[in-house]
Amino acid sequence: MTNLAAAQATLAEAAQVGAAGGVARFAWLLIALPALGAAVLLIGGKRTNAWGHLLGCATVVLSFLYGTLLFFDTTDLDPQRRVRELDVFSWIPVNALQVDFGLRLDPLSLTFVLLVTGVGALIHIYSVGYMSHDADRRKFFAYLNLFVAAMLVLVLGNSFVTLYFGWEGVGVASYLLIAFWQHRPAAATAAKKAFLMNRVGDVGLAIAIFLLFRDLGTTQYTEVFARAGELSSGTLLAITLLLLLGACGKSGQFPLQAWLPDAMEGPTPVSALIHAATMVTAGVYLVARSNPIYDLSPDGRLVVTVIGALTLLIGCVIGCAYDDIKKVLAYSTVSQIGYMILAVGLGPAGYALGIMHLLTHGFFKAGLFLGAGSVMHGMNDETDIRRFGGLFRYMPVTAVTFIIGYLAIIGFPGLSGYFSKDAIIEAAFGQEGWRGWVFGGAALLGAGLTAFYMTRLVLLTFFGEKRWEKLTSADGRAYHPHESPSVMTVPMIVLAIGSVGAGAFFALGDNLVTWLEPSLGALEASEHGVLPHALVPVLTILLVAAGVAAAWLLVGRKPVPVTRPVRVALPVRAARADLYANAINEALFARPGAWLARALVFVDNKGVDGLVNGTAALLGGGSGRMRRLQTGFVRSYALSMLGGSVLVVAALLVVRFA
Amino acid sequence: MTPTYYLLLSALLFTIGAVGVLIRRNAIVVFMCVELMLNAVNLTLVTFARINGGLDGQVMAFFVMVVAAAEVVVGLAIIMSIFRTRRSASVDDSNLLKY
Amino acid sequence: MTVLEAAHTSLGGFLAQVTPIQAPEIDYAAILPMLIVLGAACVGVLFEAFLPRYQRWSWQVALTLLTLVGAGLALVVYLRDNPQQGVVTLAGVLSVDRPALFLWGTLLVLAFGAVLLIADRSVEPGGAFVSHAAVRPGTIQDRAQAARLGMQTEVFPLTLFALGGMMVFCASNNLLTMFIALEVLSLPLYLMCGLARRRRLLSQEAAVKYFLLGAFASAFFLYGVALLYGYANSVRLRDIAEAAAGTNRSDTLLYAGLGLLVVGLLFKASVGPFHAWTPDVYQGAPTPVTAFMAACTKVAAFGGILRVLTGAFQATSWEWRGVLWGVAIVSMIIGAVLGLTQTDIKRMIAYSSVAHAGFLLVGSIALTGEGLSGTLFYLLAYGFTTVAAFGVVSLVRTADGEATHLSQWAGLAKRSPLVAGVFTFLLLALAGIPLTSGFIGKFVVFSAALKDGMAPLVVVALLASAVAAFFYLRVVVLMYFSEPSPEGPTVSVPGSFTMVAITLGTVITFVLGVWPAFVLDWAGAGGFAFSTT
Repeated sequence: MTNLAAAQATLAEAAQVGAAGGVARFAWLLIALPALGAAVLLIGGKRTNAWGHLLGCATVVLSFLYGTLLFFDTTDLDPQRRVRELDVFSWIPVNALQVDFGLRLDPLSLTFVLLVTGVGALIHIYSVGYMSHDADRRKFFAYLNLFVAAMLVLVLGNSFVTLYFGWEGVGVASYLLIAFWQHRPAAATAAKKAFLMNRVGDVGLAIAIFLLFRDLGTTQYTEVFARAGELSSGTLLAITLLLLLGACGKSGQFPLQAWLPDAMEGPTPVSALIHAATMVTAGVYLVARSNPIYDLSPDGRLVVTVIGALTLLIGCVIGCAYDDIKKVLAYSTVSQIGYMILAVGLGPAGYALGIMHLLTHGFFKAGLFLGAGSVMHGMNDETDIRRFGGLFRYMPVTAVTFIIGYLAIIGFPGLSGYFSKDAIIEAAFGQEGWRGWVFGGAALLGAGLTAFYMTRLVLLTFFGEKRWEKLTSADGRAYHPHESPSVMTVPMIVLAIGSVGAGAFFALGDNLVTWLEPSLGALEASEHGVLPHALVPVLTILLVAAGVAAAWLLVGRKPVPVTRPVRVALPVRAARADLYANAINEALFARPGAWLARALVFVDNKGVDGLVNGTAALLGGGSGRMRRLQTGFVRSYALSMLGGSVLVVAALLVVRFA
Repeated sequence: MTPTYYLLLSALLFTIGAVGVLIRRNAIVVFMCVELMLNAVNLTLVTFARINGGLDGQVMAFFVMVVAAAEVVVGLAIIMSIFRTRRSASVDDSNLLKY
Repeated sequence: MTVLEAAHTSLGGFLAQVTPIQAPEIDYAAILPMLIVLGAACVGVLFEAFLPRYQRWSWQVALTLLTLVGAGLALVVYLRDNPQQGVVTLAGVLSVDRPALFLWGTLLVLAFGAVLLIADRSVEPGGAFVSHAAVRPGTIQDRAQAARLGMQTEVFPLTLFALGGMMVFCASNNLLTMFIALEVLSLPLYLMCGLARRRRLLSQEAAVKYFLLGAFASAFFLYGVALLYGYANSVRLRDIAEAAAGTNRSDTLLYAGLGLLVVGLLFKASVGPFHAWTPDVYQGAPTPVTAFMAACTKVAAFGGILRVLTGAFQATSWEWRGVLWGVAIVSMIIGAVLGLTQTDIKRMIAYSSVAHAGFLLVGSIALTGEGLSGTLFYLLAYGFTTVAAFGVVSLVRTADGEATHLSQWAGLAKRSPLVAGVFTFLLLALAGIPLTSGFIGKFVVFSAALKDGMAPLVVVALLASAVAAFFYLRVVVLMYFSEPSPEGPTVSVPGSFTMVAITLGTVITFVLGVWPAFVLDWAGAGGFAFSTT
């Protein structure tokens, strides 16, 4: 108790964590609404088919409205009092392990609430149109609601255990949704792959939580953060690395990035919501949320930064080589999350920037995915961009919103990506010594590559020759591209507006940074950067322009073959093979694992089973022989009794007199 | 003649009875061998009563006799019924239940 | 006393020299349950003599069940204000102490279940018992009797006599009383074994085997009593214990007597290597009688073993414990190993009971409070599981009686999932899987043994449990994962009697598995009382 008291005392000095009152008392409704929706739709079964999708949308929209209410409720408060907690119920009261199911309502979690429910609501609405022909639409909405509920638990929980609960919940929802069309072997395999690779990360997160509990005896954020200084530096490093492993699994970062592109086998709204805007950013949230721990471990942060830089380049390079519209966007997601991880790895200089990029990315990437879905909707579910071309005229709304998203992601000045990505590149260059050059250089190079592959995507899809005219889709139908219904285009338009304006809204006047200060601390501007501040945007714009130009030269200027060329240079081949990530995984883990398993099976079969079966055979044989002693002759039974009696008496006498 | 001889005699009788149970086939004889064992016990009891100078042993012998009589009633009934069934009193013929 | 005085005066000098016999004090309240049972048994005999044949069944069933309920009520009433240290009554012959009361209660409830199985006439039309025991098997008359709906209702008073004997047996404080009780409980059982309606050759063979071996074992028991009498000049447990504390007597008599006495007890408890009768008799006897024997005889026998070992031989436990270790190990191994290859379900349960007897012996020789309460709990738990299991066995039938061959149980779950489920649960209880009483029973017994420094024995017991689990699970696998044969057995819809018995056994097996505390409290409420006079 003295520990606790001391912790609370330090806490009181650091930041004030108030109890949530007023309108915030019902914050559990945020989670309960979509959870209820999921429960009704899953338990109600076919009876809810007719109105299930409407209920699914309604719960998320209501959650969003309530989240907005909470947001304004919080902005009314003094910045010092914006971190509030709400105890819901005592969850795991086991001896020393006391976990209360509580919610932490602070600027960071509320930001995520708005992102998750806002983008979530738009994508729910979009899905009404996108999934209208699917017999299992009700189930789809149930899973989506389940996902939203789990994601809200993840971001709202006030302890690592609650976070873990949400973490696994979104994992399940993601698994269910990737495998939504489980009759396709590719979807089933992709879901399994996602689940297994996530599991690797989850183990890391779980062990990190165990370590925290072992050394601090608690998993509540407030206490953990207040007492993180008590941890030894070795433990701190271990915890930061294990948390990072968890983040890598969930966010598709190196070395666990391979599942994310495969996850595009799920319906496109899922790709937009879960595998672009929200769930995959949970890793960024985890690192940002654990900022008091990361602040204490510069080495841990360095690893985070390295992983981020590496992943952003990997994502860009592979993105250049793919012809599948969703896979390109998926690798683009991998690389953009790399930017975020890089940013939060920079520490106080980057937490808020990472979150800012996360938000803007949430808008434009969700918009891009919805656009891709709209294109596929109009093109018989075709995903190969080599079979598109000249679609601008046939689906103008889709094309315009898509192009806005494209401009945002490449960092066109004034659009949202420009503000958030440039800030990260600047912060990276703001590091001292070799770090500045390496991380800044990687981020800069990534910006150029992003411009290249995104331009290629847009050109191949919406402009140039109408390559689809002479082709039929896999099921033999001709392509009749058409614009999607308004239930799909309206969300795209809303997201496009966000992609245009969000960056400026967040960045100008440091709106977002100030708002997040109670959660993430003040943003430290770098003083000793390797490049002057003014130079970085110029360089970035130059590189982006170069990327766009290169793409135009390569695919805009001249006709593109419908089938992709086989004889290509080594780098392209490597990129097409995901930079051999799957091969490496297979060689390093899968095959040795299989060998180990086979060896163990051998030991088990020959050794353990041999022993067991041998014993069993011995017993069975002994039994078979011994039962012959039960001859059925009463006189032999009497003999056995007499023998037994003589033995007993003799033994007693021997024990006594010997 | 010391009472110990009676004890030895009764032990001998008990052993004869026990061995008789093992080697005789006729159920009645087997049963009579059991009775012989009981009577050997009676002899032991009476002898000990004599040695220890109490009456208990003699009284107990009466109890044993009564019990033995009751056992005869039950035993002969069972042996009778199986004899009627099988036309044989050999215990070795009752050999259906085994292994 | 006035009568005696009158006799004095009238008969004059001769009788005046004889010390008048003091009538012993009798605590009627304490022994009332026993008196009710034995009295009702006599009434049952009168019913047989005076009631017309067609009325007997209903009267006997009513009498027997009422007796058991009445005796149970008497027991409960007495329990409310009985002394903690127990009562020794009837001139020190019986001691009604906490373990005895617990055993009595156990016996009464188990007998209630068994009597329900005995009384059932719906599963087998007319009941599991022969209608004319005197008819020769295999004759025309025998086929006629098999089809007739009556039964030898003597089985009810016989059951009550056996039950009365068991109650006396586990409360008796005196080896002679114990011997009489042993015979009172055994003789009716010998007869009951031979009363099966079908497969009468097997039934009669079981009766003969049980009788001859039982009589043989009684002789050993009695010779042991005689030798102990010679040793201590008394057959009271307390006197023997006191004599053993002195050193000037012949230890040969003591240990030879102890050995022979224990053999007689182990025989009744079907502990290996004195188990040889068990499989044959369990298989041949009518299934309700097997249930009664397996549950109640075991309770009585271990009650007697606990009392004798604690009362008379605690001081010499160092000498005999090693021997009983050996016996327990042999019993567990025989039961577990021989059970593996059995093909008859009743024989399999018989070998299981041999293994369980070994486990019970482990608890019995601990001679501590935990050992006592653990063994008592185990007896109760095992008894209920066994009664219910035999109840289920009696349900699975073909046209010519119970289908006891294991191959006939293949795929039973497909045909009758409820019965298969219940039987699976009971088998799991016998195997000692958690959430069943079997697990708690094993746990308390083994932990008591462990505390008393018998770790190697506990290891052997656990290994034997593991081996035994195989043959229980084999039946489960057979029921669930084999294809049923087309001419396989049908499962009878149990009548209310059998239904109640199976439900009672199953529910108690479950309740004791999840909430054993209250029974453990009862079982551990107090120790044995022995006469001091």
